[in-house]
Parts: sequence; C-alpha cells; structure tokens
Amino acid sequence: MTDLITAPPGSPSVLARPKPRRRRSHGWRNALIGWSFILPNLIGFVAITLVPVIAMFALSFTSWDGYNPPSWVGLKNFRRLFQDDASMTALRNTVYYAVGYVPLTMLAALGLALLLNRKMRGVAFFRAVAFFPYITSLVAVAIVWNMLFNPQFGPVNQFLGWFGVHGPGWTTSTTWAMPAVIVTSVWRDMGYYMILFLAGLQAIPKELYEAAEVDGTNAWQRFRAVTVPGLRPTTFLVLILLTVQAFKVFDLIFVMTQGGPGEATLVLAQQIYQTGIVDGEYGYASAISVLLFSLVLVLTLVQFWFNGRRERK
Amino acid sequence: MTTTALERRPTPRHVRRVIGRTLLYVLLILAAAAILLPFAWMVSAGLKRNNDVFTIPVQWIPHNVQWRNFVDIWSQIPMTTYLRNTVFLSTVITSLQVLTGSFAAYGFAKVRFRGRDTLFVLYIATIALPWQAYMVPQYIMMVKAGLTGTFLSLILIQAFGAFGVFLMRQYYLTIPDELCEAARLDGLSEYGIWARIILPLSKPALASLALLTFVNTWNDYMGPFIYLTDNDHWTIQLGLQSFIGEFNADYAMMMTGSVLSVIPILVIFLFGQRYFIRGIATSGMKG
Amino acid sequence: MGERTALNDSLANSHMDRSTLNVEEGNPVHRRKFLQLAASAAAAGPLLSACGSSSGSSSGGGNGPVTLTISTWSMATTPEFKALFDAFHKAYPNITIKPVDILAADYSTKVKVMLSGGDSTDIITMKNTTDYGQFAERGQLRDISSLAAGSTASSLQGLSSFNMNDKYYALPYRQDFWALFYNKKLFDAAGKPYPTNMTWDEYAALAESLTSGSGGSKVYGTYHHTWRSVVQAISAAQTGGDLIGGKYEFFTDQYNTALGIQDAGATLDYGTATTEKTGYQAMIETGKAAMLPMGTWLIGTLLADKKSGATDIDWSMAPMPQRPGAGGITTFGSPTAFSINSRAQNVDAAEKFIEFATGPQGAAIVAGIGIVPALLDDDTRKVYFGLDGMPADSGFQQAFKPDKVVLEMPVSDKSSQIDTILTAEHTLVMTKQKSIAGGIAEMDSRVQTEVE
Repeated sequence: MTDLITAPPGSPSVLARPKPRRRRSHGWRNALIGWSFILPNLIGFVAITLVPVIAMFALSFTSWDGYNPPSWVGLKNFRRLFQDDASMTALRNTVYYAVGYVPLTMLAALGLALLLNRKMRGVAFFRAVAFFPYITSLVAVAIVWNMLFNPQFGPVNQFLGWFGVHGPGWTTSTTWAMPAVIVTSVWRDMGYYMILFLAGLQAIPKELYEAAEVDGTNAWQRFRAVTVPGLRPTTFLVLILLTVQAFKVFDLIFVMTQGGPGEATLVLAQQIYQTGIVDGEYGYASAISVLLFSLVLVLTLVQFWFNGRRERK
Repeated sequence: MTTTALERRPTPRHVRRVIGRTLLYVLLILAAAAILLPFAWMVSAGLKRNNDVFTIPVQWIPHNVQWRNFVDIWSQIPMTTYLRNTVFLSTVITSLQVLTGSFAAYGFAKVRFRGRDTLFVLYIATIALPWQAYMVPQYIMMVKAGLTGTFLSLILIQAFGAFGVFLMRQYYLTIPDELCEAARLDGLSEYGIWARIILPLSKPALASLALLTFVNTWNDYMGPFIYLTDNDHWTIQLGLQSFIGEFNADYAMMMTGSVLSVIPILVIFLFGQRYFIRGIATSGMKG
Repeated sequence: MGERTALNDSLANSHMDRSTLNVEEGNPVHRRKFLQLAASAAAAGPLLSACGSSSGSSSGGGNGPVTLTISTWSMATTPEFKALFDAFHKAYPNITIKPVDILAADYSTKVKVMLSGGDSTDIITMKNTTDYGQFAERGQLRDISSLAAGSTASSLQGLSSFNMNDKYYALPYRQDFWALFYNKKLFDAAGKPYPTNMTWDEYAALAESLTSGSGGSKVYGTYHHTWRSVVQAISAAQTGGDLIGGKYEFFTDQYNTALGIQDAGATLDYGTATTEKTGYQAMIETGKAAMLPMGTWLIGTLLADKKSGATDIDWSMAPMPQRPGAGGITTFGSPTAFSINSRAQNVDAAEKFIEFATGPQGAAIVAGIGIVPALLDDDTRKVYFGLDGMPADSGFQQAFKPDKVVLEMPVSDKSSQIDTILTAEHTLVMTKQKSIAGGIAEMDSRVQTEVE
C-alpha cells in the first residue's frame, strides 16, 4: 500500500511548492488569475453545497425536528454521540469497512488498469466488462451476491467445501457479514477506479519506458521506477476518493444487509439517515455528520502531508 | 543454413508469446464471466415472469422466455419521456462539470496564490459528507429559491461538485510546468494556456471525468426523487423504482428496464474508452 | 415478487415517531442569535416564509373551481387512489384533484423532506402511524377532531390509533389486519381439513405435516416472512405485551414457536429468506408454501393476479392462530389514513374529501377494489365478499371478523428508536446468533438504556 504512494525524488509534485521568485513579483496578479479560474465552479459549490453544510454544522449544536425553530443545546448531541452504542458501533464498522475496502479496491483497480492498458484484440470489451459491475442495477448486485454468499446453497461455500472448509454464514453472520459486504463493494467499484488509473497511465511519457528498457531493466524495475512515480497524482486522487467513499458508504450495504444482521454492518451514513430523516432528530444526526466530516478531514490532511513530505525527501 | 538459423532462433520466443497471450485471454475471459454474473442474472430476470424471478435454486435460463417484457415496458411506463429527461440531465450536468471542473483545476494546479491549498482541502472534505447529512437544509434553501421541481435544481446540485476539480487537478499536475512557462514566454495568457496547451493534453482525464459523471448522473436515484415531483420530469431510475409498489414489486419488469438503461451507458463507455490508448500503449507495462 | 423491497422494508418498519429532544432552558441570547444567523440561511427557512399560505380555510368552500392536491404513493399500482379521486370528482364537480405522486418505496422520506421545506400539498396520506406521530407532534397536520366526532367517523376501525392527546389529525380509510392465508390444493393433496381456529401448537404441527419434498421442489408447510412483526407484533397483541415498554419476556413463547417451525424445516429458514429476498406473495402464489400469515392487503393482490393469469392458486383465509385458552380471535393491524397539511390552501375542500373517502361512499369504493375499508360494517362487508374471485366459504367470512385488532406498533415518540433495536435483535435471534433469552435480555437492556 505504502509503495504505491511512495515515489523517488524528482517525480511530479502533488502539492506543488510555490517558487518564491514568481510568487513575490506577481502575487496579486496570480491571485486574480487563480480566482478567476476557480470562481465559476466555486460560486456554484459555495451556494449549493457549502451553505447547507455550514447550516448542518450549526444544527449539530441544536435540537431540531426538521420543521420548528431549532433550539440551542450546546454540546449535548456530542455527549450523547459518544455514549450511544449504536453510533459507536457504526463508527467502528465504518473504520473496519474502510480498512478492508480502500486497499483492496486500490489494488484491484490498479491491477485491472495495468492489465488492460495495452493494445490487444478485444481490450475495449474487457474494459467494458470491468466497468459493468458499476452500472449494473444495485438491486441485482445485492440479490446475486446474497445468493453467492448463501450459507447452504451458495457457490462460495460450495467452493470452500471442496477444500474441506466449512463456510460461514456470510451475510447472515455477525462476524462475516462485513467481509462479505467489503468483497461485494470492491467488486462493484474496481472498474470505476480503473478508469481513473487508465487515464493516469496515459500521462506517463512513452520515452521514459523506452529509456528504461535501453538501460536493461526488467518489467518490475520499470514498474517501480517509471509507472509508480508517474502515477503518483492519480494514486493520490484514488486514495483520497476511496477513503472518502469508504467513510460515506451507504447504498450498497443498505440494499444488501440493511445494516444487519443485528448491527453488524451498520455504518455512519446509515446512522445519519436513520437518526435524521427517519427519526427526525436532525440535531443529533448533524453531530454524527460532524464527526464523520472531522474524521475524513484529518485523514485527508494526513494523506496530503504524507504525500508532500515524500516529495521533499 | 542461414535461413534455418533465422527460423530457429525466434521460435521459443514466439511460442512463449503465444502461450502467454493465450493464458492471458483464458484468464481474462474467466474473470469476465465471473464479473458479469450479476449482469447475467439481471438479463435473465428481465426475461422472466415476475413469479419466476426468485426461485431456489436459481434458474439462470428462463423456462418461459418473455421477450415481450422488452416491448411491454415502453407502454407500461412512459419510458421515452424518462429517457429523454435522463439524457438531457446527464448531458447538461456532465458538460458543466467537465467545463467548470477543468477550468477550476487549472487555477488549483498551475496558478500559485495564497490560500489555494486551504480552499482545495475544503473542497475535498465536503465530498466526504453523505448527502443525507445536509439534504434537508439544502432542500429548504432550494424551496426558498423557488427551484424545487425543476431540472435546474438538480443541475445546480450536481454540476458543481468538487470531484471534477480534484480529478482534473491531479491530472494537470502530471503535465510539466515547463510547458506552461514556455507558453507564457511565447506571450500566451493563462486562459490561452489552459485552452490551447493543457486541454488538448488532458483528453484521457476529460474522457474519464465525463464518463464517470455521466454514469453517476444517469444512475442517480435519490436526487431526482427528492427534487422532481411531476411525472413528466422523472428520470429512468425513478421509472424503474415505480415497479416497486406498496405491497408488491415487479422485479422482472424492473430488470427489463435496468437492462435497457445500461445500453446507452455502454455506448458512451465504448466511445470514451478510446481515449485511454495513447502514450505508452504497447511498450512497457508487461509487468 | 415480493412486496416491499429492502429499502421499503426498512423504511416502512423504522419510521416511528421521534419528538424533539428536551430543550435546555435559559440559553444566553447571543447564542441564539448566532444560531439564527448561521441556520437561517437554510435551516430555519420555512418558518420565515410560513405565513403566505396560512389563510387557506376561506377557499374551497365557495362555488369557484378548486384544485385539491393530495399526496399518493405509486398511483399506477395502488388502485384505491384513482377510484376514490374519480368518485369524489363526480360528487363534487367543482373540485379537481391533482395527485402528488411519490414512489411507494421512499414515500416517507420524500414527504418528510417536502414538509420540512414548507410544502403546501393539501392532503397528506399517512402510510403508517409512526410518521403520523412525528408529523402531528411537529404541528405539520391540521386538527380534524371535529371530523372524527362525526357519526360514521367514530365507528371507523383503527380510529383510536390516531388519538393524540384527545385530538385527531387524521382519519383512516383503510384498515388491514393479519390473518392466515392458505392454499386449498395443498391441503387437499395432503388430505388435511382446511384450517379454522387453531392454537399455535396445532398450527406448528399442521405446518410440519404439510411439508413435503426436498431441494428445489420442496413445499413448505408455511412461510414466515422476515419482518419482526410476524413474531413480535402478534405476540404483543395476543399476550397484551407492550412493544415500547422495555420488557420483552412476553416474546418468549412466540419465538419458541417460530424457531421450532423453522428447525422442523416447515418454513424457509430466516437466513435464506433474507438473503434471497424471498417474496411472500410468490411463496403462496407459486404453491411453495401451504400457509402464510400475512396482512389482508394480500387479498387484493391475489384477486388481481388470478384475474391476470399470473397465478391459478385456489386460496382462502383463516384467523390467525391463538394462544391456548384465548377467548376470541386477536390479531394486529395497521390503518392507512388521510390528514390535512397545516399549510393546506384548500381546507374546506380537503375536509370534504376526507369525509367522503372515510364515509360510506368511500368505503364502498375501497371495498369494491378488494381493499379492507376502515368503515367495516355489514354494507361494506357485503360489497367486499361479493367481489369476483373472493372465496365463498364461511371460514373466510369468519376470519373477517376478528374480535380484537391491536395496532402493530404504538404511536409514541420512542417508537422509531425502539423499532430499530427490536429489528436488529430479531434478526440475531432468528439467525440463531443469539438465544431467545439472550436476544430478549439484549432488547430489554438496550431499550431501557439507549432510548432517550
């Protein structure tokens, strides 16, 4: 995992360090130009997304039923959050999910992209196939994977049976439901992130590979010396997107297990939905959202910092 | 003599290559079959009568193939209207996302100014929030703006996401700054550099952004469900959900519709994936 | 197949009412101000714009044409709406009804969001009593106690479920209750008499004796769907247990029965039923199960499916099995109701509609399409039993007169949270990850500590 975001010196920068020379002389001009590029998107983003998000932050300090005026309750929602078993279970489950989902999807997506980034007959077909799980109806995905994981008749357990392994109850077992859900999610999303890696691979200059080949390197050395550093920005993008995706996962799990059995696959997003929209406790739901947001923000900053530090070494 | 030598020498290599290729194809075809299994179920269910959809054990090939499902669906629900609405929304949202996203990304990747990185992190952090977290405040805001029930509300919500900005920025970072410097020396403005140098170089990224945005918009259910009320405005995903009634659901028809709704995406995909075949192509990458 | 989908299921089962948290008294003013500033941009929105539509009561009563808006779910597959609307328009030609059609699966979510945004749809249809509790408590519904006091309205089945502090904010037009459906052919084949009043033990033995075959061709004696109500609501109704009381020992017998039937292989096991998303309707219609405890909404489906040729089942209905020594038939049910939005523009017309839909005319229309009306008197029973394809045996008609119908889940501000806990523990007991006693102990302690 770490290897993928490690790069030797001289690779393209992710958080490009400003060059002091240019910055001093053209500071205000650059700022003007920079903002002019960002504004069209930023205006829409602020008006449509950021304002409600700020409102959500404010609501986390209130009790609000979604209709009558919110009333200030200070840190009450947050105190409740850390004493609420269901929310803490959701937090643990979400972290569990992320720890399994992020690296596995990353590897699967990268593997697919490398495998399918070549000139060969039928490559368009295989790429389409890899992308298919993402566009297949969620309901169909949930139904078929539940069938595959069926403890009695499911092919997964039949397969395990050939090796004398008595398969677990998968989605009907509190221990195995989460692994089952992770496998399904990885399967579903790998084609999506493959697309990002495929785009990233196109940016690596052909000449670098040719030069490396002239130097008599083998395929693995070329992968380490050319592909990994060249893919760095993409890998970083995928890593952050996967983290974000993992922490807000909802749809697939909800359709597949509804958070069960028991609370074995209850995740934060479902808890937010449940307490907010279903139970009508928007203040408390907002507090859970703030927790989720802070968690991902910290993780993102750590990844940025880590990434930037690698670069300067 | 010479000819034999010439013929003999490449043989083992050639054989190895053929074996390698064959193995690769066998592997790919097996993997493809496994990956397509749920899709196969979807097609099979789409060709059944509703009561035959869930049988134990699974019936992969329908006993009683209902081709007419694919005809009936057009009259059972206003598929044409839904299709038109979905195409409209997906196209507009994708265009806006690609345009504003790639434009803003240039600011984040190639122009240096104070506060840039902070703003960028803020952008990314908001992607982390599930929509359910701020859905209600956002809806209230849209009501006040008088936009609920219109396509515009949905376009506004989905077109200005941070996703496109992030994706494009990361790609731009791989384009050497020297290129921009050279263009600046040639007297190109920053906007000129974006339009004439950066954009043409980032076709693979543009293609992937367009593709992913299109697919996400096409398959979105909750957004249109909350914001579009009038049946004339519904999208395909809403149409498919309408097969689920209060007490019973017509999964066969739902799957028929799902199969139909995948076809346009497939066309877009096959068109877009051509852009992932430049640069290195054949060389390297055999590891 | 099926019925409710996964999404639908969990929405329908977990929407119970939550009132607001306690408000801390004596907040410093500046905090309030900050709050107003920060939240007014979005959160407090509807309050500021609320006044525009409050003077609705004057319109709709006059002679001018009125357009009445009513929220509905999946109109295309829910025939009662169109039937009621058409008949009402005929009776009141100057009132045109404009349905606001919402997908059934996520009806509750959309209505909640709409009302938060200050929506002014005149009539809000209540899909379940839990949402009703939330809406009424927030002041989103109009007090229609005067309508509820009317002579026919007071005899509506399930009306008492809508009593909130002696006020009524909705009137039921339909009242489904649970009974035991069965497939006559499978009984004939097994040489068993059709079921009548049974105890749970007799039912379990019967289910076992009706089970035959194995693998793909197995026929189950009965089918228990995965909802927690199949065990919990019936047990609460028949033992008098309180589903929101925090003491659940009264579930024990019913769980023993349910797990006993499952262990005997007389019903599809819970794990398979959840993972395969088994549809109860297909289980009975395709002859995979001889009996099926289910709500009376299934009748309308069976009639329609037989008519369209989707099934050729010969079915009837018996009362739910009872506890030994029970006097009379006790079952549980859930009403569906109409209520008026507190922001309604056309209050007079809305009241007219509710009176019509819940009155004798409305009941006859609802009964006429195979749905159990809330006004279940001899007249409507006659319409109902006279329907084409309705079983004619006396057992069926008897099953239609349960002595007591208990509300599926009490209306309370705690119902939603409790429902979530009970559902979670139910899945654990039914998949045998917890013993019955262990599961019930967990329900007790969680409901007592987690529910505020």
